[in-house]
Amino acid sequence: MNVYHPRITAWLWLLGLLIVGVLGSRVLTSDWLETGFLALLPVTEQQPEIAKAVQQHNQLLNRKVIWLTGAASSQEAITQARQLKQQLQQSGLFSQLMLEVPMQQTVNNYQQLFPYRYQLLDAQTKLTLANNPKNLLSQNLEILYSPMAQMLASDLEHDPLLLFSRYFNAQNPLKLNVEQGIVILHDANRYWALLLSDLQDEHLQLDKLETLLTLVNNAKANGDLMVTGMPLFTAYGADSAKQEISTVGVGSSVGIIVLLLLTFRSLRPLLLSSIAIGCGLFAALVACVLFFGKVHIITLVFGASLIGVADDYAIHFMCDSFGTKDWQPRQGLRYIFSGLVIGLCTNLLSYVGLVFSPFPALQEVALFSAVGLLVAWLTVVLLFPLLLTGFKHTHEPAILKVANYWQQHSPRWLLKNKRWLLPMFIVFIVGGLWQLTPRDDVRLLQSAPAELLQTADKIKQLLPVSQESQFFLVSGRDVNDWHHNEQQLLGRLKSLTQQYQLIAYQGISDYWSDEQNQQKNYQLLNKTLYESGLFKSYMTELGFSEAAINTELKQFNEAKNKTISLPDWLKTADEVKQQLWLGCDAERCLSRVSLTGIRDLSVFPALQSLQGVTWVDQVEQLSSLFARYRVRVSGLIIAAYLLVFIGLGFKFGWRNSLNITAVPVVAALVALATMGWFDQLFSLFNLFALLLVLGIGVDDAIFFFMADNAPASDHDKRVSTSLAVTLSALTTLLAFGLLAVSATEIVHAFGFTVAVGILTALVFSPLVGHREKDV
Amino acid sequence: MILKALLLFLLSCNLSYAADVLADITARLIKTPITQGEFQQEKRLKILRKPLLSTGAFTYSQSNGVIWKTLTPIPSLLLVNDAHLLTGQGEQAVPPAFGKVFKAMLGGDLKQLSDGFVITGENKKSAWSLQLTPKDEMLKKIISSIVLSGDTELRGLDMQEVNGNITRISFTKITHPDQLTSEQQTDFERLSP
Repeated sequence: MNVYHPRITAWLWLLGLLIVGVLGSRVLTSDWLETGFLALLPVTEQQPEIAKAVQQHNQLLNRKVIWLTGAASSQEAITQARQLKQQLQQSGLFSQLMLEVPMQQTVNNYQQLFPYRYQLLDAQTKLTLANNPKNLLSQNLEILYSPMAQMLASDLEHDPLLLFSRYFNAQNPLKLNVEQGIVILHDANRYWALLLSDLQDEHLQLDKLETLLTLVNNAKANGDLMVTGMPLFTAYGADSAKQEISTVGVGSSVGIIVLLLLTFRSLRPLLLSSIAIGCGLFAALVACVLFFGKVHIITLVFGASLIGVADDYAIHFMCDSFGTKDWQPRQGLRYIFSGLVIGLCTNLLSYVGLVFSPFPALQEVALFSAVGLLVAWLTVVLLFPLLLTGFKHTHEPAILKVANYWQQHSPRWLLKNKRWLLPMFIVFIVGGLWQLTPRDDVRLLQSAPAELLQTADKIKQLLPVSQESQFFLVSGRDVNDWHHNEQQLLGRLKSLTQQYQLIAYQGISDYWSDEQNQQKNYQLLNKTLYESGLFKSYMTELGFSEAAINTELKQFNEAKNKTISLPDWLKTADEVKQQLWLGCDAERCLSRVSLTGIRDLSVFPALQSLQGVTWVDQVEQLSSLFARYRVRVSGLIIAAYLLVFIGLGFKFGWRNSLNITAVPVVAALVALATMGWFDQLFSLFNLFALLLVLGIGVDDAIFFFMADNAPASDHDKRVSTSLAVTLSALTTLLAFGLLAVSATEIVHAFGFTVAVGILTALVFSPLVGHREKDV
Repeated sequence: MILKALLLFLLSCNLSYAADVLADITARLIKTPITQGEFQQEKRLKILRKPLLSTGAFTYSQSNGVIWKTLTPIPSLLLVNDAHLLTGQGEQAVPPAFGKVFKAMLGGDLKQLSDGFVITGENKKSAWSLQLTPKDEMLKKIISSIVLSGDTELRGLDMQEVNGNITRISFTKITHPDQLTSEQQTDFERLSP
């Protein structure tokens, strides 16, 4: 141990810090903060084409923001929407703003598709033609005689059978009211003008998100406004995470400062702790950005709580100074060194568990915490011996007295009353565990203000276009095969809409038929209307001239071999439809079928029995992933506890190891049971909290154990240890307990679990090494 | 300068004159929450050599909208209010301005009409007539003008389309019942689900 020279180690430490500093100055210049909600989710464990479709779908969602300005009259709503559009334009956040419906584009599409009117028939028209072609003609008469005919049959001259106007209307199943070129929605007492926007960047930086929130708030001040969209959820999430970081960070810092000042009555411990924590956090941040490229804001929320754990090493070291007269830092370190090593090992072990989770966010948290702890530990071990030279106290802090009284008397009291405490304790544990029900819903990851959710719902009702997050993927060997498969699916979906299980669905095969079907459509028309002469009698009856009838027949005959290919058709389609087509490669063609207004999710997975159809439900898949990993991580935790037990068993003997491990085990059980009693959220994330409880609980127990086995001259080590354990428990509690204030349910649950676990460990750790003879 | 002043004067005269006419005609019209009657519609489409003639019954309800029931030659039903338009083929996309206008015309709500149209007209002892020119850009592309005429009731509606088509509707047997029949009520319920 004599090789340990404080100066040399301090230089070593400085060198390491310099390296981290240089790396940091390189890495942290780029944009390193990630805020998107979807970045938290694991990469789907599925076939690449599904993953690709999911990713495309998400990218789409990640950019869309829907704005509705409301007023008592449509005119006012339009005026407001125009003002809003200007403000949004000036912000420079958006790549696309659509207020006026692009009429010219509609006209162009009409003209491009018109030549194919005998090949492109909508489903309803096909059905009518097949069942009773005369119905189609009498429907036409109905339209022509109605006072609105000029709107419904504006192109009678070129489309006397109104075939194309049918097809064109069916392309836009949602009938939106347009005033002055702007879509106007209408609820019980207000008119709403619709403004659609696309953000420039799907990965929004924090300052841009703030700009977005400011835009929303300003616009709200100017009049009625409803806004929804994924970026908004992200923005609110980032905003609350930021507040939480500052609450947790400031709260735990203030708490720790007060505690340390009260205990040591000196600024030195405070400064030293700050150095240890600061270096730890900085190195952790640099490591994370180096490794992952970016750090998610949630990682920082968890990371802020690391302060409490990182401080433990410093506290144990400094508290040791209360244990001996004429305390020397080097001696002190020698005494607590093995405790610190075991403490670090158990802590690292508990974080290593997180690495095995599939969630990028948790892997980040694991790396962040491990690096942070390691560097804080190294700072304590390498730097503190030098800086703690001459660290002595003449006072006995009040907290020392309390802690000492506690460690002496609480085990005694517990043991004396075990006859009734034990049964109660068992009832508490068993009862709590029995009430524990897991909830694995992925949506708990997200914290959204209730107001935002309500607005989203309201907009969904007014404007039932927003696609659900669930969708179908349809594949086929080639375009014809794909078309056939999608048509099968759409047929089933149609009957589901008739059963009110679904409001609407959209698949491009309803708008575009493959070549074979285009020919079939033509033949169908030919058979039912043209060959039979029905069209002639219809046109004559209406009063068309002989020339007009001949022209129509000529056009029909000339169109016989026309077909429109899918790529050509897609060019005329709107963006939403274009995005449904995922393209063909050598092996297959793939499309998405989107759904709107699902009533009961359970009826859809069964449709996968159809050829080439896959049901994609990200939310459900992720939730079930959560559930699977909850089970897997449970095993991981038991393994981690066993590993610690075995490791300690080799070092200290099985009986002692059992005593030490009992502390975190009991703490974990109490934490679980308390969650059960208080009906707290129990998911994968609480289990990770239990890993932390293991690390900290073992720390507490080991230091008590070592104090008990210290040389006789150091008999009052137990006093300083109880102080260190109490201080470290309190600081950890401040750090993690504050996570319980989080609005995000999982973060809250994490904080709650750790808080209960730490408190329990604090209560039970003095039992370790407590001797009957003291009673 | 003088010319400009004169122009301004004329314009203001004209405006107040139009407003006066509107007020006078509004005063002449019998206004009740419910109006019903029969209609004869004649549509002359340029491409058809004979007019499309139809007859039927209409119901105007201030709170519900309009029922337009064609009886000959093809029975059909059209329901319209501020926000929706339903035909035998289901919900239709039509500028709501059109639904509003249609209802306002039948209800004699000239004030509402002046939101969407430039109105000029004359008020003679025996009858009045108003000429409406749309303000909405989209409507302008379809309708060039609408002429309404009547006495204490609306008696005629002539619509001139940009493409030369003409629709002429005359209203007869107009009554003002206090209540809707149950059949009418059922129809209106379909409009506002």
